[in-house]
Amino acid sequence: MTRDSIIRFDRVTKAYGPNERVLNEVSFDMERGKFYTLLGPSGCGKTTILRIIAGFIEPTSGDVFFNGERINHVPANKRQVNTVFQDYALFPHLNVYENIAFGLRIKKMRKAEIDAKVKEALKFVNLPGYESRELSEMSGGQKQRVAIARAIVNEPQVILLDEPLSALDLKLRTEMQYELRELQQRLGITFIFVTHDQEEALAMSDEIIVLNEGIIQQSGTPTDIYDEPINRFVADFIGESNIIDGVMFQDFEVEFAGRRFECVDKGLRPNEPVEVIIRPEDLAVTAAESGKIQAKVDSQLFRGVHYEICCYDADGNEWLVHSTKKAVVGDTVGLDFEPEAIHVMRLNETQEEFNRRLESYSAGGGQNAGK
Amino acid sequence: MQANNRTFYWIPYVLWIALFVVAPLLLIVYYSFFDLNGNFTFANYQNFFTPVYLTMALSSFWYAFLITFFCLIIAYPAAYFITHSKYKQLLLLLIILPSWVNLLLKAYAFLGIFSTYGAANSLLETVGIGARQILFTDFSFVFVSVYIFIPFMILPIFNALDKLNPALIYASRDLGASFWATFLKVIFPLTSSGVKAGVQAVFIPALSLFMMTRLIAGNRVITLGTAIEQHFLVTQDWGMGATIAVFLILIMIVMMIVTGTRKKGVL
Repeated sequence: MTRDSIIRFDRVTKAYGPNERVLNEVSFDMERGKFYTLLGPSGCGKTTILRIIAGFIEPTSGDVFFNGERINHVPANKRQVNTVFQDYALFPHLNVYENIAFGLRIKKMRKAEIDAKVKEALKFVNLPGYESRELSEMSGGQKQRVAIARAIVNEPQVILLDEPLSALDLKLRTEMQYELRELQQRLGITFIFVTHDQEEALAMSDEIIVLNEGIIQQSGTPTDIYDEPINRFVADFIGESNIIDGVMFQDFEVEFAGRRFECVDKGLRPNEPVEVIIRPEDLAVTAAESGKIQAKVDSQLFRGVHYEICCYDADGNEWLVHSTKKAVVGDTVGLDFEPEAIHVMRLNETQEEFNRRLESYSAGGGQNAGK
Repeated sequence: MQANNRTFYWIPYVLWIALFVVAPLLLIVYYSFFDLNGNFTFANYQNFFTPVYLTMALSSFWYAFLITFFCLIIAYPAAYFITHSKYKQLLLLLIILPSWVNLLLKAYAFLGIFSTYGAANSLLETVGIGARQILFTDFSFVFVSVYIFIPFMILPIFNALDKLNPALIYASRDLGASFWATFLKVIFPLTSSGVKAGVQAVFIPALSLFMMTRLIAGNRVITLGTAIEQHFLVTQDWGMGATIAVFLILIMIVMMIVTGTRKKGVL
């Protein structure tokens, strides 16, 4: 392994019973100093992964490595990992200073040193001068920052964040997303962030790991995952998409909605059944005769940034369109899109096969293969 | 109208308090200023500060302390175990159940168990230690009292432990604290309210225990509670009995204040 790996999972399984597998042979490798996001719906196993890294639970089988050392049985208090909890888990009997100093006091650090470090940590999270505040006097966002300060003051190699922003209102959440991202870049330590909010994941991460039912569905950069979802689940979970059954007629030609379209995918069996994805923002509303697909506008919602237009074509397929221009409900319109907007997903394709296929595009000069 | 209605709801409670709490208290204070012949005097208060009553007060304190101490030592781990058990409700019920049995019945049961030919001595015989005097000793007194009071200690501690957010324990472990450091710095401080409530519920009644001293300790242990009972029922010196009661009440008030203050931000 040439990369600077900090945490590695090797076929980690966590089961609470013979039929209750929370994690199913999960393997991944995380590099030092990056921002990772574990993304998935509730119950997908993302928090379980976090707890295994933190040391609160042990895997049923498989190995966990930290800096190349197996840490399956290392207790939580002996790991160089700190967690920011979902409900902050700040100690209510201690004030801000004592909460942040908790880990340092356990290490029996000298008073002057603790003082300096707590002050610095508070400055880092933009709460200078809050040392003697009681928690009851602080807002949710401020508590969140104290929880982050309490984690970073111990100078861990990895910080785990368990849906830390879910209790905040939308505006504050966006603000904290910027702050967390910036903090991670300033500190240069590895962040592992757990969320079910795909926008949050896309905005903050260097790399996203999408999980469902204890299995990694796809991992990659935010653009990779958004532009080239591996399967229906990922496509559906990351943003809205139009997913339609189709047939790969031959290389660069796919058939769906009763017609053949030019696309940029290749290397599939001729006439292989596939699923086709087109993102709503890649569809443009045109005059009926100039569009590639004709559809009738069924309903329209104003979303602020764009209109969300719902259309049905002659075959009854639903097409969701994001457009800055208004449409008229009941009209028949044309939907236009580029060949690059068509993403073809093979059924039951593994991540390795998927990556190999994407790489073959870039070798062949296709522009769709990501970076 | 609204305000009138609300005061109306207060009436039963105020009546109750006035008749059964305030009036008896005033009567106790009133009687404490009279001697055996019904003359007004401060002599009762002077008497209290003689060695006879001071040693009695001290021994009351000592036994109440012992009972509270052993209750706490047993109750805290027990409550901790129950909160982490799968059968929380069942175990809790088993602990509450004995407190529904009449106190006297339990005392008489122990008279049988601890008697010369009782179960405890038979056990000691079979083990090979041999029978000995168990009843009417300090040991049996403290033992039975702890048995009687323990549910009152376990319940508030259990409630406090049960309410404790488990994420706080994870957080403490995460920040490098061992199990003991977590207990000392997080679990115990956050459940101290339960401990205080338990101490109040045990220490204050234990101070004025009187029946147990006769039945189990065979009058070898004389506490302030015993003294009050003797003065009212045997010597008929209501004045002195009332004076001791006044002191007992004062001690209780002090206990309430000491264990009742809420401390914040202490490690």
